[in-house]
Amino acid sequence: MEYIIKIKKEKRNLFKDKWVWKMAYRDARKNFSRLFLFISSIIIGIAALVSINSFNINLQRSINEQAKDLLGADLVVNANTRFEEDLQTIFDSIPGQQATEATTASMAMFMTSTPGTRLIRIVALEGDFPFYGDLVTSPEGAYEVMKTGPYAMVDENLASHYDVSSEDSIRLGNMVFKVAGEVSKIPGGGGIQATFTPSVYISMDYLDSTGLVQFGSRVSYKQYFKIDSEEAVETAVSQVKPLVKKYGHSSETVEDRKNNLGEGFENLYRFFNLLAFVALILGCIGVASSVHIYVREKREMVAVMRCIGTSGWQAFNIFFVQTVILGIIGSILGVLLGLGIQFALPPLLKEFIPLDLDLQIAWSAVLEAIILGLMISLLFSVLPLVAVRFVPPLSVLRTNYEPLRTFSKVRVLVIVLIILFPLAFATYQSGSFMVGGAFFGALLLAFGCLALVANLLMKAVKKFFPRNWSFIWRQSLANLFRPNNQTLVLVVVIGLGAFLIATLNIVQNSLLNQVEFVGRENQSNTILFDIQPQQKEGVIRLTRDNDLPVQQVVPIITCRLSQVAGKTISEIQNDTTDAIPNWAITREYRVTYRDTLTASETMQQGAVQHISNDSIYVTISSGMQENLEVDVGDSIIFDIQGVPVTTYIGGVRDVEWPKDPPNFIFVFPTGVLEEAPQIFVLTTRIDEKVEANSYQRELVSLFPNVSLIDLRLVLATIDEFFDKVSFIIQFMALFSIITGLVVLAGAVINSKYLRLKENVLLRTIGAVKKQIWGMTILEYGYLGFFAAFTGISLSVISGWALSIYFFEVVFLPDIMSLLLIWGGVMVLTILVGWFNTRDVISRSPLEVLRKEG
Amino acid sequence: MSDILVVENLKKSFTTGDKTLTVLDDVSFSVPEGASISIVGPSGSGKTTLLGLCAGLDVSTGGSVSLVGIKLNALSEDDRAYVRNQYVGFIFQNFQLLPTLTALENVTVPLELRGEKQYKKKALDLLDRVGLSDRAYHYPSQLSGGEQQRVAMARAFISSPKILFADEPTGNLDEETANRVTELLFDINRSEGTTLVLVTHNLDLAAHTERILQLKGGKLISDQKSMRAV
Repeated sequence: MEYIIKIKKEKRNLFKDKWVWKMAYRDARKNFSRLFLFISSIIIGIAALVSINSFNINLQRSINEQAKDLLGADLVVNANTRFEEDLQTIFDSIPGQQATEATTASMAMFMTSTPGTRLIRIVALEGDFPFYGDLVTSPEGAYEVMKTGPYAMVDENLASHYDVSSEDSIRLGNMVFKVAGEVSKIPGGGGIQATFTPSVYISMDYLDSTGLVQFGSRVSYKQYFKIDSEEAVETAVSQVKPLVKKYGHSSETVEDRKNNLGEGFENLYRFFNLLAFVALILGCIGVASSVHIYVREKREMVAVMRCIGTSGWQAFNIFFVQTVILGIIGSILGVLLGLGIQFALPPLLKEFIPLDLDLQIAWSAVLEAIILGLMISLLFSVLPLVAVRFVPPLSVLRTNYEPLRTFSKVRVLVIVLIILFPLAFATYQSGSFMVGGAFFGALLLAFGCLALVANLLMKAVKKFFPRNWSFIWRQSLANLFRPNNQTLVLVVVIGLGAFLIATLNIVQNSLLNQVEFVGRENQSNTILFDIQPQQKEGVIRLTRDNDLPVQQVVPIITCRLSQVAGKTISEIQNDTTDAIPNWAITREYRVTYRDTLTASETMQQGAVQHISNDSIYVTISSGMQENLEVDVGDSIIFDIQGVPVTTYIGGVRDVEWPKDPPNFIFVFPTGVLEEAPQIFVLTTRIDEKVEANSYQRELVSLFPNVSLIDLRLVLATIDEFFDKVSFIIQFMALFSIITGLVVLAGAVINSKYLRLKENVLLRTIGAVKKQIWGMTILEYGYLGFFAAFTGISLSVISGWALSIYFFEVVFLPDIMSLLLIWGGVMVLTILVGWFNTRDVISRSPLEVLRKEG
Repeated sequence: MSDILVVENLKKSFTTGDKTLTVLDDVSFSVPEGASISIVGPSGSGKTTLLGLCAGLDVSTGGSVSLVGIKLNALSEDDRAYVRNQYVGFIFQNFQLLPTLTALENVTVPLELRGEKQYKKKALDLLDRVGLSDRAYHYPSQLSGGEQQRVAMARAFISSPKILFADEPTGNLDEETANRVTELLFDINRSEGTTLVLVTHNLDLAAHTERILQLKGGKLISDQKSMRAV
């Protein structure tokens, strides 16, 4: 008999080869738990992406829809002084409705069931503001009542704090106002501003009667316009713009508000994008790592299938179909989780976003995420899956048989695509190749640093190996550098997680410690301002009578700039080559005079302010020196209440602004401004709350126009603010951390197969379970220890850079928190390691030896 | 009767660094269709390597293997897989069932791979023949060692292979189970007219075949009829 056969050369088509699909199903039904790591990596990565992208889309849509409601008008002109006559004339010529608002800070005395005094913002309104958006009050008609007489409306937080009811009264300056109601929503109000400076609203008719608007008082004004058409708005803007610029005021249209809000959220977008990027990249590592483990487990099965006639591509396709389908399922689950999280975000961000977030499902984000999920599951699973094609059938007979071949064009192509993927994704997500490239670069840098440290660590452990340690300690430490070690992968993955957490922690602590440090160290914690000259002695006496120290009494003179370095303000404004910001040359400056430096000042250049040869040498703060582009010796002419005063820059001061306020941009020498109209600021220190309350009550009664800032209250508010911010940051960082843990579990499972035979051999030659446990825990302990150490060390560098260069605060990491993170990561690594290797340790040695033999 | 397996001057060596280890050296023999042979020899003599080469699981360094008239050396791995699927059956010491498939599915896989549609009845008949009709829907982990090996036998015979390669088929079984499996193996083999190539340490098992090839140090040192054949 002749056995002549024709080999079928046609390639099996995945879509026509039903057997592959059947086998993919059969294999997956008993194996679903094995693919848990794979699917969870996709779910978390995609959930992060969907929640963040969908939230961003909704936020942008809300900004576009609500910008007009938030502004409350079509055009607003803002000023820190009363509007000049020529500007007022232009206002009068603009058609449509107008409203005016004046805002000033003042003490309010609440004559309620919970009486008290506190610094608030008085908002005096005239006209029918708001023209757009809602002014929501309780009771409903409170605003109308307020317009009719000496009535006040109170922000709802303030009202609830002092138990304000409609029967109560509030004293503002010399006047007592009856409470008309509470304000729960007003265009331009609410948000974080309401937390720092809660408002009390009155009619403009009664602002002067309060006596709060005196010489030196800081009052800002807004003129609101309701204009019928967009063309008319443009005309109005072109009419007011020249004078607005000339006087250093500002204007805002609905379009400006949209842009401003968009810019305001830019950092939030960037931060969220960074988190999405990190979570997704970790997810990709998770996918590759889990499929790698899966393929390793399937090696024997593939060898059997190859023996009975399955082709390499058929074997590959079985697992490829599984990963693609699971990728789609994972993406859909990730989308659902992401949308769920998106709906959880607004309550967290409520206080930071002055918008009513109307959340909808952003289908573009959903579609993007599913496509991306599919791409990731394809790209990052193909690389480990290619190995399936090269599983030799002979490994059925010999487990350690080498793969058929290792080079494959598919593998090379996939590696190239995998390298390009993060760059392409970051570019797409950020919408800019530069930003995307920066993200990609930063990721490479972080990975590179971690990989470098991991390699150095292995070399160092090998070189300085403690040969006199006991066997268990030595054996587990040696696992860090022996063949098939997982040190590099684990240090990179765990280190990256620790790096992210620790960096956030350092930045948060530096910001908080800065505030706390200043609060603790300052000689004064209470500042009284707007003291008129005739009130000065009275306020000092009152302070001393209350047994409180008078730390400083500082004169303040308001002035403007007329000329800078020989150029008039209009010359600077018209010089297009000049980069001096308009606000810096048109703003009102509050200056003081003295011949010494305070504790918060140090000279950077030149000399302390002085008079020499009848010339006046002032000093300037270093920040403003950069803005005004002036140097020591340059002249500056001030307009002090209409009197020009020529001075020269005598020196530049570095000022620690939060320390011992008040601090000043310009300081004059004595002997120049003593006769100029001035007001005073007094600083003192109050340590007891009871003292503070009685002192404040007396102050408001005797000197109603004098305001008091309690720095402890400010400190508490800032503290509360940071607590909320850090909660949001930690909530979002959870994505990266959870994905990191999944990847960590993958890496640990990956390593357990390498340790399996060794543990069994050790047990065969007499090691007891306890010793094996000891070695396992120590090995993962070492890995956690070194990985967290590396991540935290790098985070100290990044935290330092962020604190100094980005947030411009003193770098003050909390060592205890960092130690806790270090310990926490170590414990977590040990737990994950123990959980994933427990079955290896409990397996019978004979079972493994037979299999391997 | 034509030879179904022809091995000529077969050589297999492995190179590690600058050292070359020859596992099989100049082995030649042939097996007529329907015959049964055993390959015996001490550990490291090259038995398993020879089986792997004859079955097309590996390629030789020198010489040739001709299986069902096809020179295996000239084929790619996927082409050899096709030859295995069409003409070869396997039984392994560790049973090597696919753990995620039921006993019935394990048996049907070779026919499914061929693209055949009617395989379920044939598989159930074979499972019945090996005494496992009531275990058809059990997974390998739910079967004993003897039961797993019987499922492996059903899988090996379902595609009516021209040649069956068995690597220590009773090596992982207790004596009583081993005897039953041996009996069943030769019983089905005879009735199906399949050529059998058996690799074993067990001379009693080898004695069941018609010829015994003895390997030592990678060389074929004897090729004799077994006592039973005599």
